[in-house]
Amino acid sequence: MSIVIEARDVEFSFGQTPALRGASVAVEAGEILAVMGPSGSGKSTLLHCLAGILVPDSGEILFDGARVHAMAETARSSLRRDRFGFVFQFGQLVPELTAVENVALPLLLSGVHRTQALAKARAWFARLGLDGLEQRRSGELSGGQAQRVALARGLVAEPQVLFADEPTGALDSLTGEQVMDLLVGAAREQGTTVILVTHEPRIAAYADREVMVRDGRVNAPDRIAS
Amino acid sequence: MIRFGLRLAVAGGREALTRLVVIAAAVAIGSGLLLTTLAGVNAVDAQLTRYASIYPQTSTAGAADPLWWSTRDDFFHGRQILRIDVAATGSTAPTPVGIPTTPGPGEFYVSPALRELLAAHPADQLSDRYPGRDLGTVGPAGLTSPDTLLAIIGGTPDSVGKLPNARQVSDIGDKPALPETTMNLILGVIAGGLLFPVLIFIGTATRLSAARREQRFAAMRLVGATPRQISIVAAVEATTAAVAGTAVGFGLFYAFRDPLAGIPFTGMPFFPSDMSLGPLDALLVAFGVPAGAAVAAQVSLRRVRISPLGVTRRVTPRAPGAYRLIPMVLGVAVLFFAIGFRPATSDGQAAVFLPGLLLIMAGLVFAGPWLTMVGARVMARYANRPATLIAARRLADNPKAGFRAISGIMLALFVTSVAVGVITTIVDNRGPAPIGSTDAGTVTTVFDETMPSVPDPLVAELRAISGVRSATAIRENPNIMDGGEVGVIACVDLPSAYGRCADGANVIEVPFGLSRWRESASPATVWPAASFTLDELQRLPVGAMVVGTDGSAAAVERVRTVLEVAFPTFWVGPNVPGDFESDFADTLRGWEQLANVIIVASLALGGCSLAVSVIGGLTERRRPFSLLRLSGAPVRVLRRVVALESAVPMLAVAAVAIGMGLLAAHLFLRAQMDYTLVAPQPRFYAIVVVGLAACLGVIASTLPLLERITGPETARSE
Repeated sequence: MSIVIEARDVEFSFGQTPALRGASVAVEAGEILAVMGPSGSGKSTLLHCLAGILVPDSGEILFDGARVHAMAETARSSLRRDRFGFVFQFGQLVPELTAVENVALPLLLSGVHRTQALAKARAWFARLGLDGLEQRRSGELSGGQAQRVALARGLVAEPQVLFADEPTGALDSLTGEQVMDLLVGAAREQGTTVILVTHEPRIAAYADREVMVRDGRVNAPDRIAS
Repeated sequence: MIRFGLRLAVAGGREALTRLVVIAAAVAIGSGLLLTTLAGVNAVDAQLTRYASIYPQTSTAGAADPLWWSTRDDFFHGRQILRIDVAATGSTAPTPVGIPTTPGPGEFYVSPALRELLAAHPADQLSDRYPGRDLGTVGPAGLTSPDTLLAIIGGTPDSVGKLPNARQVSDIGDKPALPETTMNLILGVIAGGLLFPVLIFIGTATRLSAARREQRFAAMRLVGATPRQISIVAAVEATTAAVAGTAVGFGLFYAFRDPLAGIPFTGMPFFPSDMSLGPLDALLVAFGVPAGAAVAAQVSLRRVRISPLGVTRRVTPRAPGAYRLIPMVLGVAVLFFAIGFRPATSDGQAAVFLPGLLLIMAGLVFAGPWLTMVGARVMARYANRPATLIAARRLADNPKAGFRAISGIMLALFVTSVAVGVITTIVDNRGPAPIGSTDAGTVTTVFDETMPSVPDPLVAELRAISGVRSATAIRENPNIMDGGEVGVIACVDLPSAYGRCADGANVIEVPFGLSRWRESASPATVWPAASFTLDELQRLPVGAMVVGTDGSAAAVERVRTVLEVAFPTFWVGPNVPGDFESDFADTLRGWEQLANVIIVASLALGGCSLAVSVIGGLTERRRPFSLLRLSGAPVRVLRRVVALESAVPMLAVAAVAIGMGLLAAHLFLRAQMDYTLVAPQPRFYAIVVVGLAACLGVIASTLPLLERITGPETARSE
């Protein structure tokens, strides 16, 4: 399999505080990679650098051969919008939109017509066990439901890479596992590469491979799933 | 708890201090504007009171010797000159306000503005009208405005007592002769147009950063604070900022008072001392704003239930019902009813129109949320862009919140549209004679006491003035009761510019100005024959003198001066038709200018309120918005959300308010004057556009904040 996204010797500091000190990691197409590490180790920073949210102080980020770190903000935004998907820990749904509109949002942002976008978004509700919740607002959804809606939103535009930053961090273990089952199932079905940041081994176990971030460096692969 | 609230407000870290400063700054601007509005209302009141005191009521009670007083109107270049003739009847007679002593016969005082005119123009155009000794300048206490043209001229009791409108006055006070209801209506328009937006702004300002505050309160609830304790902390925080802001607001008001007084809001500038605050005003603002802020904080807490688990409010509030349209529809119906059924008395008319207008005003504010919701739902249904969809959903979700910030704009624009619509129509129907027309050059003086004839030397003197084309004495028609014109002249004396005689007539009936009321002088007019011979005509008394000129200001003013000196007992000075009309139109334009000021000020204020609510909305949604940006949503999408959420309702509200205002003006004009509404001049729309641009500018000033608070670091730090 070919490498779809890669970080090479990435360094990044928040002011005087170094977060990444020469981190390198490569992810293959369709692979599910878990990035683990204790709090403050730099795992979220690595994810943000890979996704083109942060620009490394030095080192390279390559996506499909393109030099992400050298792109202008507009190009990186466009990359994130069209080629990447995101699932965060909480609070990512726009409160005034209904669940189905939230899911359709990436498509609308990419210029898809509203009718088509909503139709495509609705299809995800049955897939993720959210039938009947299409018209609910974020405040009317449980944590698990909101996270499944966020997952649908992350995948609806069929991204090449899905970045999931502690996607189950705000959920109980049972609900977290349900969300992960859906995430992994949908990603495999679509052939989406997933980069999953978590500090929970139980969640990391869903991945094909784990890397450990410590003190801003990525350790060698611990495990390759069969 | 109060001490704890104070500590949280002033020593709660950088964020708390920033919040305090921002709210205090917003309250400072709001209370500064509130003080300016109150002082402006007082200034208008003072101006009207002094204007009314120029026309005192007869008062002979008391021990003082009465003062003979006669106020008459004169004109110069279309501006009104107030001429007050006075004569003391004894040593204890009161002295007119603004001068040290009552002028004696052959003495006079003039206002500073009139003194400038006297110095700037030849004597035969103006100062010959005031023969005698110039005693000095009338002080501000005797003037409506620094621009007032006023002369106080001394005479003998005998001469002044015979003047038109002469009355004996033994007490000169500040008793306004204007009906109190008129004053209240005028001041009510100002207050309604400006105070409401100011109060809305202050109320909105105190809710700045509400979302962050609520998060903090939730954390306090989690560790055991009771709802009552939270209420106290919230009230203390809001009040602290409001007290600081109000204090700064007083400073801002006094710093800008003098330059503000010089702006002719009513068509005339104010004296700086007129822009004063009464003790009640000062107390009202000093205590009312902080108290209001405390109440607003309580209300905002009531709107959101703060539980230990956080704020529970992201549920769709109950949608406003269509019943909210009822008061507005009723108001329009009342005005329609007034067209068919117009009460005979002015009190009766006021009893119909005022409730109708008030119903529409209240109805607009009441119906606003429903209209916002309907508009937003339509927008959401057809939205194809994410920004439009988010903005429409937010507005449809909570239309009351969306409308609150702009309700002031709606009221102000409605009030001013009614005023501008009515004023434009009246000015259009009764405006001054066009420059260069025969009317514009026709000077007419109507004698208070008729005379057997006009002396020939006077006629010769008038005809010798450069630019004079004709001088015609008009005799009184004794058959006026038969329905004819008030004057009669020999056919040969009729200048051709004013018409021609009916076939075979030697003597014709004419109006005193040689043109009929609201008609222009025309050579084509045919005047009917009068039933007098030329001999009989010569025996009739002269009632008026009409002098035709080329319309040049110098000719008109020279003629006027000659006539005034020759016939000093005029009630209204010799005038051209444009004098009355331009004076009247100037007064109306003064009010129109005030309306324009209200438009711009209320829109700018509305912009500030909107900006505050935009900031509140952004703070509330900083996380989903910043995560959207992380996910690749361009910042322009978020900018568009903000712009649509605020600009669309504002523009819609502006359109509805102006439309309703002009409709109400039309109904009023139809019912009251049989006029059809004349569309306001482009200037009005230009001012609305300037105001809206100012409003949008204020909203745009919040956009950098959007970029800042939705940056990647926000998502990381939360």
